Amino acid sequence: MTVLKGIANFCLIVITAFAVLVSIAFVYYHFFVDDTTTGVNNIDNQVGLDIREILKSDELTEEEKDELKDRYFLEVNYFSNDKHNGIQLQELKLNYFTSYRLTSADYRSTGMQYIGGYKGLPLDTWDGNSEVKFLNPFGSNDRYYGTSDTSVKIANDYVDKSFNYYDYTLDVNWNGVTDENGSIATELTRKTEFVIKIDDRAFAIKLDKYVDKDVGDVRNVFGIGWKIGEKYNRYYYTYGSLFQSCMQAVKTNSAGYGDYYITVDLSSLFSIKEYDKETGKYKTDNVTDIIKTYSVLKFHYDENGARSSSQSMFGIIDNNSKYDLVEDKIDTSYWQERITYNLDCNSKLNGKDLFIYRYSDVYGGYFVSLSMDAKKLFAEMPRTKVKVEFTLDAGGERNIVGLDYNALENVELDTLTVKSKYEITFYLLDDSLTDTNLQTLKRSDCVMLDVMENAINGEYSEVVI
Amino acid sequence: MKWYSYLICCVLIIAGALCGLQLYKEVKAESYVNGSIDISNKFSQESFRYKSTSAVFYHDLYDDTDAYSFQTDLPKTENFDGEKNTYKVMLNDYVLFNAEVNAGSVYADVCIDFYDTQGQIVNSANMSVSVKFLSNKTQLTLATIGNENAQFLEQYFGDNGLRLQIIEIKEEI
Repeated sequence: MTVLKGIANFCLIVITAFAVLVSIAFVYYHFFVDDTTTGVNNIDNQVGLDIREILKSDELTEEEKDELKDRYFLEVNYFSNDKHNGIQLQELKLNYFTSYRLTSADYRSTGMQYIGGYKGLPLDTWDGNSEVKFLNPFGSNDRYYGTSDTSVKIANDYVDKSFNYYDYTLDVNWNGVTDENGSIATELTRKTEFVIKIDDRAFAIKLDKYVDKDVGDVRNVFGIGWKIGEKYNRYYYTYGSLFQSCMQAVKTNSAGYGDYYITVDLSSLFSIKEYDKETGKYKTDNVTDIIKTYSVLKFHYDENGARSSSQSMFGIIDNNSKYDLVEDKIDTSYWQERITYNLDCNSKLNGKDLFIYRYSDVYGGYFVSLSMDAKKLFAEMPRTKVKVEFTLDAGGERNIVGLDYNALENVELDTLTVKSKYEITFYLLDDSLTDTNLQTLKRSDCVMLDVMENAINGEYSEVVI
Repeated sequence: MKWYSYLICCVLIIAGALCGLQLYKEVKAESYVNGSIDISNKFSQESFRYKSTSAVFYHDLYDDTDAYSFQTDLPKTENFDGEKNTYKVMLNDYVLFNAEVNAGSVYADVCIDFYDTQGQIVNSANMSVSVKFLSNKTQLTLATIGNENAQFLEQYFGDNGLRLQIIEIKEEI
């Protein structure tokens, strides 16, 4: 018994010791081992958080939902002019938020537009070991900057003036950049920070990356050169770099012309900081290395050249919202439009006959009327212009003798035409044309109309054809 | 061993078990991944749906006719079969009757009258709609005859947008 008790105590001590070790391991792992996020965090849609509830609403059609959801960080509009029927136009738009709240009230977009094919300028080059050379695209004087803090500041403040810049809020685009009098627009520099949404959290994203390339420390004696070490040139990315990369991606896409989406890795260009809700500030650490920011780029790539400002994603080309290459432009202002429907016995709705027929022994033929589905449809469609034509001697299956009760009631009619090659009486039964606002009733001269007293309640003109 | 030794052992074992469970969860926890972007649906579509804020009609310089057209290539449409299924064609808010639905294409004609402020027709534009469902893409073409018609249609689509849908009608059981 004593032996058994000793064994049990020993086992208990072993188990307790093991439990203590596990507890120590847990404490160590939990408090001293950092988690490493190896996953990919994506910039998918940039839809406001307040929109998500609206998207659940049954009152919205799928089309309306698509429209609300269709907001991505990057959008490209590229008219290649491969057909030589316009101008080459390249546009890039960045959709972002103006605050960490990430609601639709914080929506804003800033875009760049280039007329022609942007080749990139030597603006991105900074020789970190000597001087920076920026070519002034609007002047003949090249400007040289050194590697001092002042020079770096100039590099970071640089706005590439070869682009037109547009801002967008509440369905209106504008260019608020002026050269002399400051700017009310978002200027795209290496210091510009946007707020974007990743996994419903706010992040500040900034294009401030660079790349060092080894150009070699070379000695040269009597024309013979050799590399004795490493020497780096530092290349600073700008929005021109992003623009050029996006255009290159669109131009080389395998799907060709059209409207598509691709995912692009922005981590080599942008750094990202997460917004900390507790402190109300953006965290100081850059999480680009942890969060690889695959972003969706939505693009339109067109074989045509751009011809009108309506083709621009900003509605503006070269700062002109009325831009149009058509010379013989006519005045196209109008009050209303109406879609004309020409209906006859063969018209179909969703594969079914639009008109229904009722046989009358008394009249020895069929009375025709519009199906209820068709009436409902016309009631839902605004501003239609309906023209109905019946050819009575068409040799069809049915011998039509007239319009049935309520045949076209409440359907706004423009013209009713009744044709026949033979002498025939066409009956209009009660309410067959009530509240149709019929304008013209055309009939062949051999068609006699027998209109009942309450068949129609409006004035119309009768034309014999 | 004293009685309180057993008590301490029990407490330590229970604590160890709980820590072990938590440790297991933390060690085995998957890295935090915010899902991958699914854009596969952007390269094909179940039914045809196109929307745009405008349409610009081009005149081919080498074309002797007075035809103006707007053409665009779109992602391929899955499962379109005009021989087996019935489709409804909609342009903006209007259903297009008499659309010709073929095995892999749809054609329709639209007539739009434009009225001035006096209620008089200032333009009556006929436009043909053609959608071809090819194996690798969907090709949409809108065409009209004459520069004036083209310009009025551009104005209309600029004002109202362009929304074209071809929807399969499924019989209710």
